[in-house]
Amino acid sequence: MPKPRTFILVLVSLIVFCARADEFRFPLKPGSVKFAAIGDMGTGEGPQYEVADRMNTERQRFPFDFVIMLGDNIYGGSSPKDFERKFERPYKGLLDASVKFYASLGNHDNPNERFYKPFNMNGSNYYTFKKGNVRFFALDSNYMDARQLAWLQKELQDSGTGDWKICFFHHPLYSSGKTHGSSIELRSLIEPLFIKYGVDAVFSGHDHVYERVKPENGIYYFTEGSSGQLRPDGLAQTSMTDRGFASDRTFMLVEVAGDVLYFETLSRGGAVVDSGELRRPVRASEAAVQNK
Amino acid sequence: MTTKRRLEYLMNIVMLGMSLATVGGKLGRGQAAVSPSKEAKNEAGFKEFMDHVQAYVNLHKSIESSLPALKKPTDQPEKIANHQQALAQKIREARRHARRGDIFSEEAMEAFRHTVREEFGGPHGHSARTTIRQGEPLKTIHLHVNETYPDGVPYTTLPPTLLLKFPKLPDQVAYRIVVRDLILLDVEANLVIDRIPDIFPETI
Repeated sequence: MPKPRTFILVLVSLIVFCARADEFRFPLKPGSVKFAAIGDMGTGEGPQYEVADRMNTERQRFPFDFVIMLGDNIYGGSSPKDFERKFERPYKGLLDASVKFYASLGNHDNPNERFYKPFNMNGSNYYTFKKGNVRFFALDSNYMDARQLAWLQKELQDSGTGDWKICFFHHPLYSSGKTHGSSIELRSLIEPLFIKYGVDAVFSGHDHVYERVKPENGIYYFTEGSSGQLRPDGLAQTSMTDRGFASDRTFMLVEVAGDVLYFETLSRGGAVVDSGELRRPVRASEAAVQNK
Repeated sequence: MTTKRRLEYLMNIVMLGMSLATVGGKLGRGQAAVSPSKEAKNEAGFKEFMDHVQAYVNLHKSIESSLPALKKPTDQPEKIANHQQALAQKIREARRHARRGDIFSEEAMEAFRHTVREEFGGPHGHSARTTIRQGEPLKTIHLHVNETYPDGVPYTTLPPTLLLKFPKLPDQVAYRIVVRDLILLDVEANLVIDRIPDIFPETI
């Protein structure tokens, strides 16, 4: 007969094992697209460094290759010292590990950031790039003029229907943030293109909170604007929120494997704020475009 | 999709189509409700404005070609900062006699004022106001021709539907809102080229 103490220990281990088996796990499939997302981070203050340190730590478990930046990359100035204190130093570990950063511009960013090589913008305010089966579109939501709209339409159209399409830019189309909220005018211009050409997921910042919105017209929307800044109590109670968090700084980890997008949102302390898996929807509009 | 969502979606498609069609046309700025003479006046104002912009961009290009090139992105931020400052300095020198109204001439200014009035008094007025309110409107700053846009001051969001009604600008320059003024900014030199004061309504 096992001793009662041993029995309890085995029982507790079993319970913990079963509980952890239910926890979210990245599949870490070979060839999958793994990246992180940060927004409103460029303060140069302690919390930004703490988020960056946590990203570095998590990379041992989840080896992401690149980071998308959702704007407000460098607050308060654009001198060489600003770049050093608000980007190069906090993310040194990631940069040294050859992790690439892809920036979009926020309303606090000097547009000349586009010439800063580590931001991989190639001198353009808006651009596109492809990783595995994902086509990314970085937009400049500060200045959605006719030229950018025409570019977006053409690039979305040319990108076909086989790959995931992920857009990222600063101003959220859907947000329960109390400070800024949804960018309704911008939405009226670009959402119809997203729907028509089958954009699957959108990442934005601007509101200094984390929010995952219930899918709108089949598109998944995330606001990640608390990777440096934070507006505690900055989220209003709205019916569009699927999950919101405004108690600590956060960042996102994302894996796209086949038709599934796995994500985990972590606080700077490593607590899981949100996680899940999203299936790539097949839309009637996309099928129609494909058939043309 | 609910009926409401479908309707919203259809409305958005129609709005986008109208906006793109407006901008796609020569310099017609989509004032559907204005009289033909007013529209012609606006077109003339915008044309004059674009001529002045083109002359400015030619100057910008010729000055830029005299500077050490920043053709490719660099991992040295000081190169970006130096380029921006040198370009601003040379343009300032070349335009030391520049005055407000050199680019936004009287006629151009009237066309812009009319377009803004139409936008804020029309069906997009409410959302345009909301966009500005949401986009960190500046309250106290005043900028003048040949001044640098202050480093670290956020940009107020320019309502995109209004932006689509303004003449399309070359890459070197952009419109900005500063308090109630419309600024024409050289984005590479970060320099104010011209401005229209108090063009936006007091009550945003």
